[in-house]
Amino acid sequence: MVQGTLDMLVLKALVMGPAHGHTIARVIEQTSEDVLQVEQGSLYPALHRLEDRGWLQAYWGTSENNRKAKFYRLTAAGKKHLTLETNRWRQMVRAIGLVMGE
Amino acid sequence: MSLRRFFKRRLSDAEVGLEMENHLTLECDENLARGMSEEEARRQAYLKFGSPQRVREDLWRRNSIAPLENILRDVRYACRTLRRSPGYAFMAILTLGLGIGANAAIFVVINGVLLRPLPYAEPGQIVHVEQTAARVGTDPIGFSVPEVEEYRQLNHVFSDLAEYHSMTFTLLGAKVPERVSTGVVSANFFDVLGVKPVLGRLITPADESPKAEPVLVLSYAYWVKNFGRDPKILGRMFEMNDRVHTVVGVLPPLPEYPDANDVYMPTTSCPFRSNPKMIADRDMRMVTVFARMKPGVTATQAQSDLATITNRLALSYPKSYPAGAGVMAQMTGLEQELTHAARPTFLTLLGAAVLVLLLACANLANLAISRQLRRSQETAIRMATGASSWDIFRQLLTESMVVALAGGVLGLGIAAVGSKLLIAYAARMTPLSGEIHLDGRVFLFVAALSVIAGVMFGALPGFVASRDRLSVLTGSGERSVGSGGVTRARQALVAVQVTLSFVLLMCAGLMLQSLHKLLSVDPGFKTANVLSMRISLDWTKYAKRTELNQFFHQVLSRVTGLPGVESAAVSVMVPLNSNMGTMTGGVQLEGRALNPGELMPQVDFELASPDYFRVLGVPILAGRAFTDGDTEHSPAVAIVNARMAKHYWPTEDPIGRHVSTDNGKTWITVVGVASSVHQYGLDKDLKEGIYLPQDQSPSLTDAHLLVRTRVDPMHTANQIADVIHQIDPHQPVTEIRTLDQLRSAQLGTPRVTATLLGLFAALALFITVVGVSGTLALAVAHRTKEIGIRIALGAPKGEILHNVLVRGMIPVIAGIAAGAIVAMFSTRLLASMLFAIRPDDPLTFGSIAILLAMVALIGCAIPARSAIRVDPIKALRTE
Repeated sequence: MVQGTLDMLVLKALVMGPAHGHTIARVIEQTSEDVLQVEQGSLYPALHRLEDRGWLQAYWGTSENNRKAKFYRLTAAGKKHLTLETNRWRQMVRAIGLVMGE
Repeated sequence: MSLRRFFKRRLSDAEVGLEMENHLTLECDENLARGMSEEEARRQAYLKFGSPQRVREDLWRRNSIAPLENILRDVRYACRTLRRSPGYAFMAILTLGLGIGANAAIFVVINGVLLRPLPYAEPGQIVHVEQTAARVGTDPIGFSVPEVEEYRQLNHVFSDLAEYHSMTFTLLGAKVPERVSTGVVSANFFDVLGVKPVLGRLITPADESPKAEPVLVLSYAYWVKNFGRDPKILGRMFEMNDRVHTVVGVLPPLPEYPDANDVYMPTTSCPFRSNPKMIADRDMRMVTVFARMKPGVTATQAQSDLATITNRLALSYPKSYPAGAGVMAQMTGLEQELTHAARPTFLTLLGAAVLVLLLACANLANLAISRQLRRSQETAIRMATGASSWDIFRQLLTESMVVALAGGVLGLGIAAVGSKLLIAYAARMTPLSGEIHLDGRVFLFVAALSVIAGVMFGALPGFVASRDRLSVLTGSGERSVGSGGVTRARQALVAVQVTLSFVLLMCAGLMLQSLHKLLSVDPGFKTANVLSMRISLDWTKYAKRTELNQFFHQVLSRVTGLPGVESAAVSVMVPLNSNMGTMTGGVQLEGRALNPGELMPQVDFELASPDYFRVLGVPILAGRAFTDGDTEHSPAVAIVNARMAKHYWPTEDPIGRHVSTDNGKTWITVVGVASSVHQYGLDKDLKEGIYLPQDQSPSLTDAHLLVRTRVDPMHTANQIADVIHQIDPHQPVTEIRTLDQLRSAQLGTPRVTATLLGLFAALALFITVVGVSGTLALAVAHRTKEIGIRIALGAPKGEILHNVLVRGMIPVIAGIAAGAIVAMFSTRLLASMLFAIRPDDPLTFGSIAILLAMVALIGCAIPARSAIRVDPIKALRTE
């Protein structure tokens, strides 16, 4: 996976609403039609990092299988950062596309 | 990374663990739903996830701060090590706690008294000006009102000069009539001190005009005590000296200086001070002067300006300043005046406490070295497995820091208790004792002291340990004996300990001897079973001589009639009450003309009722005591003390001679000679003195009643006070004390100083003996093999004993020699606190040296005994 994109993907996965780690991994895999195979463990340091930066907020809730689970939610700063990252990503994709002659 | 996360790592790790476990379970469930076997579902979930352990480690590292982590690890390791040897830990923490506690307790006092700025504006510029007559006596003689005015006008160095004196007046208008200590001050007094009121205003120049309405300013303490901080006190009226005074302000909390006054009034309200005779008479010296130096003026300039004025006055008024009296004006800085008595004592005590702490550190360093030698194998293994010298050094230092900081906490506790006990002691020496309490500075001091102590006793063992070589592992002979360098270091530490104890023992020894000398001073009277109480009469009520005498006669006859009372007397002063100034004055002796400029003989005056000598047990050596027949209307008589008799009539009989106290207008016949007494203090020399009968003397409005009882004097105190209240219900009776109490109060300060120093010295001696004997014991233990071989080869036991003792005593003797030299210089600092003993008293030096040597020898004897008991077979087999 391209360096630094995991953060963006995690943020994007949370746009639809709060979710716990497993759901986030599932969302990324499924929406990418199983192309992006995250090593699921590396998700957690990323979540930790994003929380530290104030882009995510964590809280404890109950998961679908009725267990205590940690849920993550986008903060206002997180949304702002996501927009920024998305724009940058689009520019990058366009630039690479141009170079590749597409 | 935030510190918060650092300290919550454990919690965070647990959370992540739970989170990942949850994730894996969900994944596993999904796989099961897909139809995998349970085992396969789990395997697949883990494959997809990766290693949870790695994630946890990753996050743990993210939340770490490496140096902090190292320190914490060292601290934890140190705590574990110490827990494994609780005996050492307990000893070390206790020793350091005592050392640090002693320092801290004394520092609390020094901090409050010597380091905190005085609660006045620019206190460095405030000075107390005193007039003395050096050739008459050492006590200041005060200023007269005209003199104050002249000094105010003529000086060039002071921005302002204020006048002050204190008297006791009766205040009416509170619940009961009350005697209040009153500061009588010029309008600028509070400006000179630089004090602002907490309520209302202070005294202004308008208050000091003769026609102004009388005003009062209350002291903070009096306001709190009697009016519960009532802000409505402003405008309240009280009657004093038959005039109505209005309260206009309240002072902030200030030291009880110059006196513990309840209220302040302007000079014009004081009936004595506003008396026209008082204002005009240059020789009525009764006021004190405070001044504020102009900015930039030095003390030397101010002093020489004062001298110029004195000379000028002496030229203009030769009669008031006889050449023989040596009158001059001197000034003392306020700070100096408030702290001079406490400064040497507390600095000495701090010095002693520092020595004790140093001693404790030296001892602990020694102990830590021997601990380290036992652990050298462990150290060598750690070094072999990759620890650097610095790691070992740091580890050892951390261990001593943990001990030192624990000692610091204990010390802080000791200081909190100790400083409370020291307040009363400090109060005898300075009015600033109210400022003594723990504050941030004390905490900082204790923290700094702990760190310094930790470094001091941790660095040497750490250094020794970090130089441990791998040879230790091969089991060569050097093991656990330490190299020659280590042995020398240990012996030097012992010598240092002996040196420090020598100095401490010397100080304590001198103080104890000084105290003993003071205790054995015969005051010249019998202090047992004598009660004293102060009766400050309302001077307006007893203005007439007859009324005054009648009052005292009534009191004396009724008190003498009480059961348990043997005799009673009145006088001006209680003997041994050093708080009051002396009553010194000139007398003229019959048949002895004075040369022009020569001073009249100066003697101490005392007024006494007939039974005075009987009450105090002062023997009448010749002639008679006063009797009831010596009244206002009978011929004037006097009794002189033995010293005066010997000085002025060395070869003649003083009885029947005549003296005059009023420049020869009237003559008084000497009728008796009384034995001399130490009137003002046990440490003051005997002086010439004269007694006049109370009935024949100038009015006595501030008197003391002295009562000799057959029972415990304090038991009769209430009955006596009742008798006085029957005669005059408004008459307060204060300062009820026994003469024994006054005597112990006089001895209190030297006694406490000697006790504290003695305590420090005893502690020092104990630590030293433990150190000497411990070091030698270790040396003997390490030489077991060698001693065994010697015995096996036939060395006589006497030789072994001699050998061990000599080795043990060498550092002790060196320490004693060094201690004697150090003490020679340092005990000089004690000189001002000693009575009747020189700081280099050779007898004390000798006894301390012998004492130390003896005690050290006993300390050496135990390890020496075990040396001669070494069984050669066992010694050789164990190696």
